[in-house]
Amino acid sequence: MFEPEDETVERLIQHLRRPVAMDAGLDARVMREIAQASSPRRRVWPLPWSVAAAAAVLGAVLVARPWARNATSRADTLQFVLIAPQAASVSLVGDFNDWDPARSPMQTAHGIWATALRLAPGRYRYAFLVNGVEWRADPGAPAAKDDEFGTPSSVVTVGGRGS
Amino acid sequence: MGIDKVEPSDAELVRRVRTGDIGAYGALVSRYRDRLGRYAVHMIGDREDAEEALQDSFVRAYRSLARCDDPARFGAWLYGILVNRCRTTGARAARRRRLFVHDAQALSGAAHAEQADRLDWTDAVDRALARLAPEYREAFLLKHVEDLEYDEISELTGAGVSALKMRVKRAREQLQKYLREAEHV
Amino acid sequence: MIIAALLLVTQVVAQDPRLERLDPDTRSAVAAVADSANGVGLPVEPIIQRALEGATKGASGARIVAAVRRLAVDLGTARLALGTSASAPELEAAVAALRAGATPQVLAHLRDVRRPPLTMALSVLADLVASGVPADSAGAAVLALAPQARDADLVDFRRAVERDIALGAPPGAATSVRLNAGALDVSSGSPSSGNPARPRRP
Repeated sequence: MFEPEDETVERLIQHLRRPVAMDAGLDARVMREIAQASSPRRRVWPLPWSVAAAAAVLGAVLVARPWARNATSRADTLQFVLIAPQAASVSLVGDFNDWDPARSPMQTAHGIWATALRLAPGRYRYAFLVNGVEWRADPGAPAAKDDEFGTPSSVVTVGGRGS
Repeated sequence: MGIDKVEPSDAELVRRVRTGDIGAYGALVSRYRDRLGRYAVHMIGDREDAEEALQDSFVRAYRSLARCDDPARFGAWLYGILVNRCRTTGARAARRRRLFVHDAQALSGAAHAEQADRLDWTDAVDRALARLAPEYREAFLLKHVEDLEYDEISELTGAGVSALKMRVKRAREQLQKYLREAEHV
Repeated sequence: MIIAALLLVTQVVAQDPRLERLDPDTRSAVAAVADSANGVGLPVEPIIQRALEGATKGASGARIVAAVRRLAVDLGTARLALGTSASAPELEAAVAALRAGATPQVLAHLRDVRRPPLTMALSVLADLVASGVPADSAGAAVLALAPQARDADLVDFRRAVERDIALGAPPGAATSVRLNAGALDVSSGSPSSGNPARPRRP
């Protein structure tokens, strides 16, 4: 069916058809963005009462702009998100809250745990404490390499300059 | 959950999302991420812009899920959103290098002949694709790489089937020409 | 007067209710470290936080004390490199950078080429190394960007490099490619092709 000259194009097509691996972190970013938008007012189909309530709670603690780069304020409000559908509880723990699991418990809707904190400029080590026992780093953040206590931590930095 | 190990269909997942199971949408994202990503990367030519277009498309699809008339054809519907989104990727980040991995390999001195050949060929393919007019590239990718039928492509792009066939034909001719040129350099 | 002030500080640190999470011996050792740090003008809060981290993670008293001692020393080194006007966030970020392998010279150079605060620049340097970029490449990259880049640009740079590495690029190469990509106008062709590449846009 194809003439010999088309072999080049066929080779090109075979090349282009090779699978492309996209960044697996994209899934989490999509879900994060979706979770942020979930609120009773925005729904386009009727939700069961319990789900709407959960979404309202989630909406209440999330702020509109993730990783806000507000040029005028010195402090930034940052979102922290962990996808952990099997978890019964998740706490955000770090240099900003004295590593106290009781200070920043996270709210969940459908396995997506989230909370938001207002942070003054600085570099903060932090981690998620799942079910009160399991330490997890934030897959979306740089790792804290100088980990002296044997558990994974992450880092978030607020620059403190209106850039 | 349950005994059934078969993966849920798109229609089933869409149904679950519509009843409030946001997590089910995550399964759809995973299912389509790489496939749609392939189109976005080849169409846009920049990995980061492609990821952004892909992310945007998934979010848009979620927000307008009520308008997906046939959940069994969620994939095709999602394609439509992506194709449109790829069209609007502007000239932002025109300076960014494309497909850096090849540059990185070149930088680290890939002296192996076979590897160099592969680099040149991949480069030639990328350049040839880049030289196509957007409508030709779009039609060519959807037909020959993503394997869509002409009537499906017509639905997604709004172009008539005969116009699409002509675009694909022109695309093939031009690609052949560009690849020949690259070989003779 | 100075002695009274120092005593006061020791008492304040020892009385910090947060330290009650530590056992008494560990608590007094940590308070002593914090006190000496404060005595030479170093920030106390990072030391407290490191102790609390250890407490929450169930680390032994010995491990906690070793960690805060090491931190106090590193804060001192950081301050030598950055100067006495460095803020607490800058010092903490500098410690991370030093521990990642940046030299004090690189830190001092950064101070010379960039308006304060240096917190983000130092953090990005440390984070790049944490992703696998060799320390000297990371240092060179940050220094190259430091004079002009905004904090947000540095973060974008770090994210771009991390993404490239996750997709398989050698870390050092990913850094230099991204650095050069910022400087060049339009993607450039490889030597083998006669045609300059056009960026693909629909």
